Amino acid sequence: MSIRIYSFFLLIALLVGWEVICRLLGISALVIPTPTAVLEALWSTLESGYLWPHIWITTAEMVLGLALGCGIGFVCGIILGETEFLRRLLYPYIIASQVVPKLALGPLFIVWFGFGMTSTVVITALICFFPLLENTLTGIHHIDPQKRELFRMLRASRMQTLFRLKIPSGLPVIMAGVRVAVVLALVGAVVGEFIGGREGLGAAIIAAQGMMDSTLMFALFIVITFLGMIFYQAAIWSERWLLRRHIKGKTQ
Amino acid sequence: MSFLTVNEASYCYQGNEAVVDRVQWSIAQGEFHCLVGRSGCGKTTLLKIAAGLLQPTSGSIFIDDTQVVEPSDQVGFVFQAPTLLEWLPVTDNVLLPISLKRRVTAKDYTRAAELLELVGLGSFTKRHPQELSGGQQSRVAIARALIREPAFLMLDEPFAALDAITRAELQDDLLRLCEHQKTTVLFVTHDIAEAAYLGDFVTVMSQGELQQAIPIDLAKPRAPEIRYDSTFNALCLKIRKTMDGTA
Ligand SMILES: Nc1ncnc2c1ncn2[C@@H]1O[C@H](COP(=O)(O)OP(=O)(O)OP(=O)(O)O)[C@@H](O)[C@H]1O
Ligand SMILES: [Mg+2]
Repeated sequence: MSIRIYSFFLLIALLVGWEVICRLLGISALVIPTPTAVLEALWSTLESGYLWPHIWITTAEMVLGLALGCGIGFVCGIILGETEFLRRLLYPYIIASQVVPKLALGPLFIVWFGFGMTSTVVITALICFFPLLENTLTGIHHIDPQKRELFRMLRASRMQTLFRLKIPSGLPVIMAGVRVAVVLALVGAVVGEFIGGREGLGAAIIAAQGMMDSTLMFALFIVITFLGMIFYQAAIWSERWLLRRHIKGKTQ
Repeated sequence: MSFLTVNEASYCYQGNEAVVDRVQWSIAQGEFHCLVGRSGCGKTTLLKIAAGLLQPTSGSIFIDDTQVVEPSDQVGFVFQAPTLLEWLPVTDNVLLPISLKRRVTAKDYTRAAELLELVGLGSFTKRHPQELSGGQQSRVAIARALIREPAFLMLDEPFAALDAITRAELQDDLLRLCEHQKTTVLFVTHDIAEAAYLGDFVTVMSQGELQQAIPIDLAKPRAPEIRYDSTFNALCLKIRKTMDGTA
């Protein structure tokens, strides 16, 4: 516990150091604003209500993108994991598509879906799709051969083996994929807004850049970081909840 | 009449030499057969063939005059490793064979509790497998094999991870249960004394081949004292000599 207190003091020390150096060297706020100025900007934009719509839009895009991407990735992972033929057929393409920089497709999506939320949600979903597909495939494929044999001995049907053995046993790997997807979803949503958003935190950064308002940009970084932390925490909590039975009795 | 018939069965793992070599074996209803042999001689492989988990490379298996081509509902199987599902509590692990077939009823829960009591785990029903010791896990696996009251029980060194006292208790419990339900048993072990104590017949396996079955004519039900009896020791010696190939 005490190490946490030290971590907290380290943060304070860094902030104070930053403030002092900025003031002593007289660095322009355009290059690096002081922490107090950033906090002030953050407070005033929150109070004036300027930030809230942007926060909601980005949150909504993340939630929709995550749900779509993870859901489709999970289902595709199950289908590929269960059909040897499809897996062999498609695996080279899946590997190849990992390398494609999904964000580079952003401009194309704008052509297809127009500016605004839809194209950002599609980019986010696409980015979340792959870690889920990959981890679901791995998770349901690497099952202890002894447990497979047990289910064969008990004459379990294919569906029973899937739902009562493969998915529960692969769940830790699948949830690790969800955690990766959450981090990527934030990047996807913000960068998607850079490219094609009119609203949202990414679009707000671009707007602040247009006004050469570095202080506001820093304030927006803080908001984005905070949003990411909330999502990551939520992912960890849901993981703990879903894996509560798996964790039982396992020494950390 | 023979309940299990193994007819000239051989098995090779991916083109290697035969691990089970033209085995001929028949087991009658209600008999308790023990299979002993050195580590790696093919006991587990033969057991899995008999259970229908492996298809013999040549030869055939019959249970109750029907050819075995896949695992049968009549057979309860205890694997060499406990193989419990770590996300289910002990009771649900024991009830797995039933819950895969139909809805679990209150009666099944009572039965599971009884079986767990029998294997000495009455107070561990709500624990998860990883909260149990290795020996406790194997006892859960035994309870799981017994829950459907199979006509044929196949056990692969089920007591290997237990201390001598618990093992002796469970041996007696197993004998009692099988006597009561008229279960036919195929019991693999590498412990000669265990084989002689449990079995009506002890068959020695060496390098994939079966030797002549040795009938054990000791009084049934077994009294624990016979372990220290001279006839018992003579039988053990006979089995040992067969294993060494000097009988
Ligand atoms: N999956 C496998 N692939 C290839 N060879 C195998 C495989 N499983 C077992 N074998 C080989 O088959 C032989 C017999 O194995 P088996 O597991 O039947 O032995 P066992 O008599 O049960 O031994 P133990 O008493 O140690 O359990 C061994 O020599 C082993 O190396
Ligand atoms: Mg074995």
